[in-house]
Amino acid sequence: MGMLFRMATRNLGVHKIRTSLLGTAIALVTALLALLSGLFTGMQTTMLRTATTLMTGHVNVAGFYKPTSGTVAPVVTKAAALRAFVEKKTPGVKLIVTRGRGWGKVVSDKSSQQAALVGIDIGAEVGFRDVVQVKTGSLEGLREPHSCVIFQSTAKRLEVKVGDTVTLSAPTFRGVNNTVDVKIVAIGGDLGMFSGFNVYVPEATIRELYQLDPLTVGAIQLYVNEPDRAEEIAATLRADIEKAGWRVLPPVSQPFWRKFDTVKREDWTGQKIDVTTWTDEMQFMKWTLATVGTLITIIVGVLLVIISVGMMNALSMAIRERTREIGTLRAIGMQRGGILGLFVLEAALLGLGATIVGVVLAIGTAALVNGIGVGVGEDFQMFVMRETLWLEMDGGTVALSVGVIAAATIVASLGPAWRASRLPPVVAMQSAK
Amino acid sequence: MPDAIVTLQGVDKDYPLGAVVVRALQGVDLEIDAGEFTVIAGPSGSGKTTLLNLIGCVDVATRGTVTIDGANTHKLSERDLTRLRLHKLGFIFQSFNLVGVLDAFQNIELPLLLQRDLGAAARTERVRGLLEQVGLTAFAHHRPGELSGGQRQRVAIARALVSQPRIVLADEPTANLDSVTGAQILELMQALNRTGTTFLFSTHDPRVVERARRVVRMVDGRIDSDSAMSPAAAVSPAAAVSPAAAVSPAAALATLTPAAADHPAAATSV
Repeated sequence: MGMLFRMATRNLGVHKIRTSLLGTAIALVTALLALLSGLFTGMQTTMLRTATTLMTGHVNVAGFYKPTSGTVAPVVTKAAALRAFVEKKTPGVKLIVTRGRGWGKVVSDKSSQQAALVGIDIGAEVGFRDVVQVKTGSLEGLREPHSCVIFQSTAKRLEVKVGDTVTLSAPTFRGVNNTVDVKIVAIGGDLGMFSGFNVYVPEATIRELYQLDPLTVGAIQLYVNEPDRAEEIAATLRADIEKAGWRVLPPVSQPFWRKFDTVKREDWTGQKIDVTTWTDEMQFMKWTLATVGTLITIIVGVLLVIISVGMMNALSMAIRERTREIGTLRAIGMQRGGILGLFVLEAALLGLGATIVGVVLAIGTAALVNGIGVGVGEDFQMFVMRETLWLEMDGGTVALSVGVIAAATIVASLGPAWRASRLPPVVAMQSAK
Repeated sequence: MPDAIVTLQGVDKDYPLGAVVVRALQGVDLEIDAGEFTVIAGPSGSGKTTLLNLIGCVDVATRGTVTIDGANTHKLSERDLTRLRLHKLGFIFQSFNLVGVLDAFQNIELPLLLQRDLGAAARTERVRGLLEQVGLTAFAHHRPGELSGGQRQRVAIARALVSQPRIVLADEPTANLDSVTGAQILELMQALNRTGTTFLFSTHDPRVVERARRVVRMVDGRIDSDSAMSPAAAVSPAAAVSPAAAVSPAAALATLTPAAADHPAAATSV
C-alpha cells in the first residue's frame, strides 16, 4: 500500500498541469456544492426560526370550540389546566407561550387590508424580539393594551407610521362584528411572506376583540430543543392529552385555518383539542424547501456529471500515456487488483485533496458573505425570510460536500482503472519497441 | 545433467490481422536448462520476441505447450501466471521500462514489495547488495530521469534479479546502449550468470551473440539452428584474465570506467 501511495502521489505531482486543472475543477465544484448546501441549510434554519417564532410553535396544542354544531371558533377554553398538563408531560421544552389567533380587517385612514391577528404576551416571547428587526418604534409598546406591531409592507399598504391608530374589525364567535382601535407602536423589517398579512397585538386586545374570557387562548405553543422530533413529541402529547380525558381531533397535516370547514361540518359541540407541528402549520415551507432542495439536487447532479466525465477523461488519458508502465508492472508481477488500486488511489487522493481545498474555499466565502451582509432582492426575501444572504456551513454540510464529490471522483475512476487493470502485460514488450 | 527449466513443444502463435492470420511462430520445440546463457537471434520479424513473450508468460501460445519450471502455463489462471512471473521470472527490457516516479532503490525494491515475503530490513539489505553489485550505490536515490542509459539498464538488471528468479529474460538489452556501455552490461550479465541465474536473450546484436554459450537462430517463426558456442567465445576477456571476476559481478563492474558508465542513451524510462 505504501508503494502504491508513493507512486500515486508522485504521478499526480509529475502531471502538474492535468492535476492542477482537474483539482481546481473539483475544488470549485465542491465549493459550489458546499455553498449551495450552506444556502439551503441557512434558508431552512432561518425559515424554521422565523416561521416558528411568528406563526407557530414547534408543537402546538390548540383546538376548536363549537358552541353549536354549526359554529366554530379556533380557541382553547379553560386553557390554564391544559397548559399545566402539557408542561408536565413534555420534557425538553425550551419555552411555552400562549397566543390568540384570529382573522380580521385592519383599517387606516387611507386604506384597509385583511390580516392574521396574533395575540402575544411580549414579556414571555423571547424569540420574537430576536426575529423581528424593528425599523421604527419599540416592541416594548406591546406591553400596553390597544397597541400593535406591523411590518413595513403592511405599513406601506395602509400608509401609516408609528404612533398612528388603526382599527381592527372582526366578527366575534357569536357572529357579531366588533372593532378595537390600536396604536402602532413598532414597524418591523419585512420577513418574507409573513410580513404582508401578520399584525401582532397584546393577547388581552385579541380577547377584547373576540369577546373571550381570560382563560381562553388561541394556542399553546411549545418550543422544543429538537425541532426535528416535533412529530414524535406531538404524537406522544396527543395520546397523553386524550388519555387524560380531553377530546382530541385525529391528526391531519393541515394548518388550523384550513380545518375550519371540515370541523364546522362535523356534528359535535364543545371543545376538541388539536395537536399540530410546525410542518403541519407551515406546509408552504415544506414545499419551498422541497423545491429549493430539488433545484440544488439538479444543479449538483449536473456538476457531478461534469466532474465525473472530467475524471474519466483525465484518467483515460493517463492510462493511454502510461500503457508501458502498466504493462511493465503487470510483467514484473503486479496483479490486476494492484493496477486498479493504483489508479483508484490516484483519483481518491486527487478527489479528497481537491474537495478539502474546495470546502476551505467555501467556508471562507460563506464567512465573507455572512460578514458583509449581501442583500437579496424582495422576491428572494419572500423565501429566505431575511434581507441578507445567510450561508450556514455546519459540519454536516461540509462532510456531505466532501463525501459526495470524493465519492463521485472515485466512482468515476473505476471504469478507466478497470480498463487499465485489464491491459495485457505483453503491451510492455510491444511498447518498448 | 541439469533439468530443463523451459520446455516448448509444438508451439504456434497466430496474430489475427483483420481477415488475415499472421503466424509469428510455427512448430517451435525448445528446451533450456538451468544456468544457461542463451541467445535467441534472428532478423526483425523472425519471431524471437514472440518466443520470449511466451516464455515470459506475458502472452499465450495458440497451440502447443509452454512449461516453465515444471508448470504448464496453459493450465494456469491469470493470477497464477502473474505469480509465476513475480517469483520465477525477471525481465530486462530494451527501453529499461523503469517506473519514472520511483528512484533506483524503489524500482529495484518493487518486486519484493509485490512478493510481500521479506520485511523492510531484509528488503533494504537485498536492494543495497544489488545496488552495490551493479555499481549504483551512489545513485540509489536518483530517479530514472537523472540516470544515464547504462545506469538505467543496470537498475533494470538489479530489478530483474532482486526476487532471485530462476530465469532472466532480456529483450534486446543492448539495443539502446552505445557499444562501450552495451559491452559493460553484457559483462555484468555474464558475471551474474556464473552465479547460477539462467539468462535468455532475444537480440540481433552480434556483440551479444558472440558472448552466448548457446545460440538459437530464428527465421520466419521457426528455429533455423540451435548451436552451442565454444567456451572461449562465451567468456569475456576481462573474466578470462581475472579469476575473481569470473565469480563476482562486482569485480566485473570494476572494469567499467565512470565515463563509460555514465554515457547517456536515447532511451527513456516509463
